[in-house]
Amino acid sequence: MNVLKYAAETFLFVPFAAIVINNVFSKKMMEKCFHLLTGAVALSQIFATLFCIYSMDARGMSRFEFFMLEELYENDREFFCLTPVTLIFLLCIGIVAFVSVMVAKKTIDAKKTSYVNLLMTLIIGMNGMVMVNDFFSLYVFLDVVGLSSFVLIAMFRSRKSLEGSIKYIIISELATIFILTGLAFLFMQTGSLDYMDLNSSLLQNSSEPQTMLLSLSLILILSGFFVKAGAVPFHSWLPDAHQSADTSISILLSGIVIKIAGIYGIYVLTDLFSGVKAIQTALAAIGILSIVAGALLALCQSHFKRMIAYSSVSQMGYILLALSTGTTLGVVAAVAHVFSHALFKSTLFVNAAAIHEQAGTLEMDEMGGLEHRMPVTSFSSVIAFLSTAGIPPLTGFWSKLLIILALWTAGNPVLAGVALCASIFTSAYFLRMQKKVFFGKTPEHLASVREVSGSIKIIEIILTAITTLIGILFPLVLIFLQSRGIL
Amino acid sequence: MELFTWETNMLIVGFLMILAGCYCMIRTYHMLKIIIGVEVAMKAVTMFLILAGRINGNMDLSQAFVVTVIVIEVIVAVVFAGVTIGLYKKYGNMDIRNLTQLKG
Repeated sequence: MNVLKYAAETFLFVPFAAIVINNVFSKKMMEKCFHLLTGAVALSQIFATLFCIYSMDARGMSRFEFFMLEELYENDREFFCLTPVTLIFLLCIGIVAFVSVMVAKKTIDAKKTSYVNLLMTLIIGMNGMVMVNDFFSLYVFLDVVGLSSFVLIAMFRSRKSLEGSIKYIIISELATIFILTGLAFLFMQTGSLDYMDLNSSLLQNSSEPQTMLLSLSLILILSGFFVKAGAVPFHSWLPDAHQSADTSISILLSGIVIKIAGIYGIYVLTDLFSGVKAIQTALAAIGILSIVAGALLALCQSHFKRMIAYSSVSQMGYILLALSTGTTLGVVAAVAHVFSHALFKSTLFVNAAAIHEQAGTLEMDEMGGLEHRMPVTSFSSVIAFLSTAGIPPLTGFWSKLLIILALWTAGNPVLAGVALCASIFTSAYFLRMQKKVFFGKTPEHLASVREVSGSIKIIEIILTAITTLIGILFPLVLIFLQSRGIL
Repeated sequence: MELFTWETNMLIVGFLMILAGCYCMIRTYHMLKIIIGVEVAMKAVTMFLILAGRINGNMDLSQAFVVTVIVIEVIVAVVFAGVTIGLYKKYGNMDIRNLTQLKG
């Protein structure tokens, strides 16, 4: 029990220690080895998560609760808690942070120490958000995530990044005002914001919220998390913010921040109010709208990163649709899609970084014929595209299959059909991207482009290998689910 | 039952403050005024938290919430003002209609 507790505490203490180390030693020294420090933090997170998964499975525990600083608390409520869903989210955070560091080693030239500080704050915020046990602490960590990502976007102070950042700030602050108002109304009714208290109060057993104030608070919290997740009627900040940031930061934002800040909050809400039918209907409606509109908007973009950002909007729709079923299989499908989306979206952004480093542009109309000049980048982007579109042996296929199965068994064959058909749009915009960037004739100004070298190439190969391997080994996960009686 | 109790009055004032903050954010083109709008709306939310503590009798928990929210609010204002100053140095004024770099 003790070892598991220490492993769980590293999720918050290791990034904090990295901030201290980064600021204690001299700036010159830290700029030289900033990638070693941040890479070590990301790797320690990945290994600690794997250890927690292994030891919790060996002991047969489905939740592990722990204090952080035990002497400070007097009541018997545990403050943090690890569940299987939390652990998968923590694993995704570790992987995406590692990818971001590998890319940042090449793309970030100035302000390396600020990057380390902000990245570590972001990791603390995300780890805390998935581990806490009550709604108000979730809000506090949500604001830590939000504030550090605003500064990360605006860090290099170009006109574009400042503009993307201020758009994000305005819309996101409106969302936090909504969430906090909803929490105040919820607090007014129950007298506590602990998940346990909310779960055991009267609210859960009925299929409809009893009072107007409760329905109002659910609407406000849900719409706030929709803004954070970038679902379609609220998506306008997402492509701007993700396009204007540096690519190593776009990986973090698109790969994990929208999922932790938005999807995890919605997951908590559906978990607490699993009986309320209206939430599920809202999730299904917003999900379908996001899938279709995100894919159609991605079709008409000319900027590489902007197109991938709209693709994120579309994929968030799939995750919302999986959560809308309200069954255990739906949650499993959503978490599986979060994992595979973290993999293939970070691969695509790494490709964007490689193209930006070598060709100097990200406008798709100016590119072409990079297939033979950059074979590794081209191959890994094809794998990521096939995984996004859901082509069999890759990871994306299995998570989409689980989503469609969950919808079908929950009695929504129409939604399953729409989700299946919308995959065609996904293939459409990615085929357009492949044709414009990698196929066709090479324009003259790109004739001397070489394959990217160093850390970006290594991380492209690693990500492609992981996507393929997990895709091939995924039937083992299905067998595990069947042994637990979920599938 | 009396219609205009202390609690309903607070609720109505809070909603009016949120509406005023949102109106301020939508209507103006000046970035500092948008910050003021956000802050006004956040103040209303702080008031809702105090009201919630009074209604359910859990005043000490609500105190802890309010202090935390005030701290967060200040940090939000600082970050927002920092980005605004960055934009002011680029463009020379604080008009939000200048921001037309990102389209598509």
